[in-house]
Amino acid sequence: MSNKVGKNSLWKHALAISLVLFTAFPIYVVLVTSFDPTGGISSDSLLPVRFSLDNYTLLFTDPTVPYWSWIKNSLIIATATAITSVAIGAAGAFAFSRLRFKGRKTGLKALLLIQVFPSFLSLTAIYVMMEQVFLITPTFGLGSIWGLYLIYIGGSLGVNVWLLKGFLDTIPLELDESARLDGASVPQVFWLIFLPLAAPVLAVIGVLSFIGTFNEFVLASLFLQDVERRTVAVGLQQFVGGQFGETWGPFAAGSIIASIPLVILFLSMQRFIIGGLTAGATKG
Amino acid sequence: MFYKLAGLRGPLALFLKLGALGAADAFLIWLIAASINKNSLVIAGVVTAALIFLNYSFITKGAIPLKFLAVGLIFFSIFVVTPTGYTILMSTFNFKTGNEIAKEAALKEIINNGIVSDDEGTAYDLFLGKTSNGKYAGILENQISREVLYADENGVRPVSDSEISRDISGLITGAEGIKALTEEEFANADAEISALRFPLGDGSYAAPQGADVAARLIQSVFYDPVKDQLEDRVQGIIYVDNGDGNFVAQDDPSNRLDPGWRNFSGVDNFKSLFLDEKLRDPFIKVFIWTIAFAFLSVGTTFAVGMALALALEAPIRFRRFYRGFLILPYAIPGFMSILIWRGLFNTEYGAINSVLGLNIDWFDSPWLAKFAVLLVNLWLGFPYMYLIGSGALQSIPAELEEAASIDGATEKQTFYTIKLPLLLQILGPLLIASFAFNFNNFNIIYLLTGGGPTNSVEGEVAGATDILISYAYKTAFGSNVQDLGLSSAISMVMFVIVGTMSMYTLKKSKIMDSL
Repeated sequence: MSNKVGKNSLWKHALAISLVLFTAFPIYVVLVTSFDPTGGISSDSLLPVRFSLDNYTLLFTDPTVPYWSWIKNSLIIATATAITSVAIGAAGAFAFSRLRFKGRKTGLKALLLIQVFPSFLSLTAIYVMMEQVFLITPTFGLGSIWGLYLIYIGGSLGVNVWLLKGFLDTIPLELDESARLDGASVPQVFWLIFLPLAAPVLAVIGVLSFIGTFNEFVLASLFLQDVERRTVAVGLQQFVGGQFGETWGPFAAGSIIASIPLVILFLSMQRFIIGGLTAGATKG
Repeated sequence: MFYKLAGLRGPLALFLKLGALGAADAFLIWLIAASINKNSLVIAGVVTAALIFLNYSFITKGAIPLKFLAVGLIFFSIFVVTPTGYTILMSTFNFKTGNEIAKEAALKEIINNGIVSDDEGTAYDLFLGKTSNGKYAGILENQISREVLYADENGVRPVSDSEISRDISGLITGAEGIKALTEEEFANADAEISALRFPLGDGSYAAPQGADVAARLIQSVFYDPVKDQLEDRVQGIIYVDNGDGNFVAQDDPSNRLDPGWRNFSGVDNFKSLFLDEKLRDPFIKVFIWTIAFAFLSVGTTFAVGMALALALEAPIRFRRFYRGFLILPYAIPGFMSILIWRGLFNTEYGAINSVLGLNIDWFDSPWLAKFAVLLVNLWLGFPYMYLIGSGALQSIPAELEEAASIDGATEKQTFYTIKLPLLLQILGPLLIASFAFNFNNFNIIYLLTGGGPTNSVEGEVAGATDILISYAYKTAFGSNVQDLGLSSAISMVMFVIVGTMSMYTLKKSKIMDSL
């Protein structure tokens, strides 16, 4: 390394290291808390003075804390939502970007506008609706993760069509056209040309949708009242949100376990996710 | 024709395609049958419409775009468009605690409550149970005359001693055709039982007052459907519709009958939001903070993220570690991070106070709470800005920089006059999207501060860190008065702002033209 580079990189390291400390601070405290059997969040000292796995074993042994069910529920609902919304989003984005039909531009604009509506107020409407559905078929009604799943995929058309658009615009239209000239039908173009090309970005949409669903809190906490049926987000919130008092130990342990699959998923898909995030932007 | 449905030709594709459509049809038809069975005609209608739309889309030969959109559109219409329409509609209604039900239901309840006990205070010993067909019935014994009557929803008839059994103290403990309620049944049906009215035949009722006593009640309030008014014949008061969802006494509008009903109120909710001082002042306060919060959030995260992107642009030692570690906040589930930060800010045991050696109640001071919200949002948001920032940096041609340095520009000059304007142009749409996201960033406010601190002594709903969306949420689902109408109106205001911004970005970024 030349002298110039070394001198210049001083501020770079200073910035990066201070951000590493900033980032690490809550993560460190949570790690320490999760191994602290007294349950406080660093009540007296920041250094780890006590060590036990009590908080972790509690999650899997305490019958009032069905942590394993929570994780399972979250994984099921997030996986199902990710797969379905990728399917719906891919088909929808294909129609909007590759096919020409009446009302296409208006449809796109309407999708965007309705999507940015602050929709949590529709909680009331959705709640009443799902109450009715519960009476007909409890599997898809209020209180079930499949009812919640239906609501999550309701929004997938609006969100994903727009997320996919930036990418779709980069696939040359000539590709479709030459395939059509060779006698391919529209559905064939979709299955044989579009899907293979879009696979990486569809994977990104799937991961983002998975993470988003895993993270979703407001709807889930309103819908899943039964302890067994909660998602991990709702279940963990209860530790520090009143019902159990403020028990930070199990919360910290539960958060760490629940974060691991997400962090691994994110880091392994990082390259694609960054590509997906900037696809819309770098077009200019 | 059917081959085309699948896209891929051949019998297998056809089989799969028809199989999927058939399975969907079977499920929807079952759902329709089940809803008709449960008398949910609205749901049956909606599902039928979905069924017809689905089959039409897939079986007609043309309408290819529809085949790709049908499923998504069905879910979108049911779970997004319908509730959105409901919210828009609610903003034109007086719809709050005390005015939640339909007018018919409110009338029914008022009339149900519009009873007084008779002048003598007639009371009965009651033996309450259910008949063999599950209807409530009881044996009434007048506490003074000791006359015994069999009573059900249709009326009363005299009962002979042979039909009833008594315990030693003389209380009736059983009767022919009536099965006594178990204690559990009684506890579960408390509301149902207190609403029971056994007509006594002379316009008065016997109504249970607990498990074993009933009182004779006389209907005092009557509804006049022609004049649409209620008359209290005992007190001699006439109540009229005040046009705002309540019946009020004709000569004293403050004398109101409860419950009221949700009433169409046009633009009243918007008017009170902008004109009523009690609502306008907190609304404006929250509005300003919402804009400031969204602006500062984007500003701080962009500044830090972009600086980091510049720092890590050229290879330096530990770059891989920095990159991997510093995007962790973006990868860790957000709700957890926010809750953890809430713990860190805790006054007594929070790590922040113990590190700094302070004893500050962070969430009790408006300014400190605002600072905390922004700091946590910076933690959550700078990795995203770093990611999109470094992506954008890569898309700036290196020649530009070279040309500038050949022309003698310093590194600083190059950055401020060439790179930054370009970056802002490239990232503009994403920054505006980020602004819109933070404008509606419910989770951080709700989970970190709950919108507080709130001056609850003054009865305020809005706290110092409340943004519009958390304010609207509190207005609609808060603990004191729940005002869905007003909350919907706030949502509409937010929608106009964010919607305009989105449309502007769309136009600016020329995305629509490229299609």
